[in-house]
Amino acid sequence: MKIGLACPYTWDVPGGVQAHVRDLAETLLDAGHDVSVITPVDDESTLPPYAVDAGRAVPVPYNGSVARLLMGPVSAARVRRWLREHDFDVLHAHEPTAPSVSLLACMLADGPLVATFHTANPRSRFLTAAQSALQPSLEKLRARIAVSEAARRTLVEHLGAGAILIPNGVAVRAFEGARPLPRYRPVAGVGDDDGGGGAEGRGAEGGGSPREDGPVVVFLGRIDEPRKGLDVLMAAFPLLVEQVPDARLLVAGPGDTEAVRSRIDPSLLGRVDLIGLVPEADKAAVFASGSVYCAPNTGQESFGIVLLEAMAAGTPVVASDIDAFRRVLDDGRAGRLFGVGEPAELAARLAELLRDPAERARLVERGRAVVARYDWRVVAQRIVGVYEMVSGDSPVSVAADDT
Amino acid sequence: MTVVVAVVVLVVAIATYLTWLASRLDRLANRVDATRAGLVAQLTARADAARTFARSCGLDDLAIAAERARAGHATLLAEAALDATAEDAENALSRALRSPAVALAVGRAAPGDVHAMDAAAARVALARQFHNDAVGDVRSLAGRRLVRLMHLSGRRPLPAYFEIDDAPPVREDGPPRPESSAEVSGP
Repeated sequence: MKIGLACPYTWDVPGGVQAHVRDLAETLLDAGHDVSVITPVDDESTLPPYAVDAGRAVPVPYNGSVARLLMGPVSAARVRRWLREHDFDVLHAHEPTAPSVSLLACMLADGPLVATFHTANPRSRFLTAAQSALQPSLEKLRARIAVSEAARRTLVEHLGAGAILIPNGVAVRAFEGARPLPRYRPVAGVGDDDGGGGAEGRGAEGGGSPREDGPVVVFLGRIDEPRKGLDVLMAAFPLLVEQVPDARLLVAGPGDTEAVRSRIDPSLLGRVDLIGLVPEADKAAVFASGSVYCAPNTGQESFGIVLLEAMAAGTPVVASDIDAFRRVLDDGRAGRLFGVGEPAELAARLAELLRDPAERARLVERGRAVVARYDWRVVAQRIVGVYEMVSGDSPVSVAADDT
Repeated sequence: MTVVVAVVVLVVAIATYLTWLASRLDRLANRVDATRAGLVAQLTARADAARTFARSCGLDDLAIAAERARAGHATLLAEAALDATAEDAENALSRALRSPAVALAVGRAAPGDVHAMDAAAARVALARQFHNDAVGDVRSLAGRRLVRLMHLSGRRPLPAYFEIDDAPPVREDGPPRPESSAEVSGP
């Protein structure tokens, strides 16, 4: 199938939508489809061979963060040329409500159009204001996909449009069999000689083989973003140490590490490892370094992708009891939940798990079963099912009236 | 002279706007046609899969429901309205697919037949969503006062939503899909 994907945000700036488009494109390519992506990009040399440059996006401050947008005659001409050159069986626009390439593609194209809506924003003034301007483009979409129930609700409430639900995928292969960071590797000769069986080796090691020091709790996320909940974990940690004296804490993620360090009780400093921002490629190793991954988020997340990544890396999860996490963790069957913002309860959950390797192994097993449903290979197949349902009669063309 | 120019500009602007609205309505009508054809195709596929399953497992009630739905598809394929008669027949088939007799038969049937039947049922739910979304978009644009006043929809009747109970059967051994109400599976 010839598939065109439009990504609205700058390719070489990290973000959830970009990652989604990249993973989807690569999974579809692996499955033998013909895929082309069009996207704004700052440094064209970062583009993979399957992607086309739509121009440089302009940063616009919006809603407390910076949205990078791209609309204009030059990019419109590039999108038009891209559509003409490819003759796609289906055009799949991501987040076509953002004033960028995806919206341009919807305006310029005609035929089998599909869109995925990523954002969950219960009170978007932008969407409300732009509704009638967006409507002519959105009404061309033959299928609308939302990545979460919250994203679907946003669409229904702001644009009066229905959508089917297909969740985000997880690049399971990138996490499977991950090895811990070097200094978190088990003592040489005990768990290290397991050869190729990385994942199983880790499972067995959870059964009691010694580590250099005690069990490790991992946090990954922005350390100065209150909604990521590092403060809750920091308050729980001293309580955890009372129950599990050799517990350690590994904190990864961007932000002011010195500010976090200054708030730690000096007697515990030796057990807390603040490693700052880790490259995307090291995320799996960070998860694999932990006996438990902790997600103490206090704000509503629309989708618990980071939980799935930890589970794919074979690390059991303890997470706060918010909607998205409860859904991903199968109501607590695939990971432990604790009351949002409750350090004492978090410490108790962590202690239970750190003392019970058998239960950890059980959670890892159930986690694998959950992750399988979100495996990009499975999710992409469901998306291809949608492509097949909307395409067929004629390929995507450039609209006669360019609207 | 200026007045004449202004009037001409105004007339051209209004005409352009009305033409643009009419072209949107045209495109929406095409989308309704395409999604309707897709829905009928999925309904047909579901009835066929149910009939195959019913025959191989000797389930009379399911076979009757499938035959009844299938009988109506001939007129649907010939562009007959997706009306209450069609809805009743499809509802009966949905109920038959969820009946305890079918659930029991699933255990002894060929997994391929069960999967084909369930996948077809899930695709009906998606096709219906796509169809009803298109209908909703047409109705919201065609309902505008200007569109009605200028008869921009021409003689096209307003399309109707297709409302059936298409909840898929729950299989105990199947993987739970908390994130989705329907499953699509590729070939």
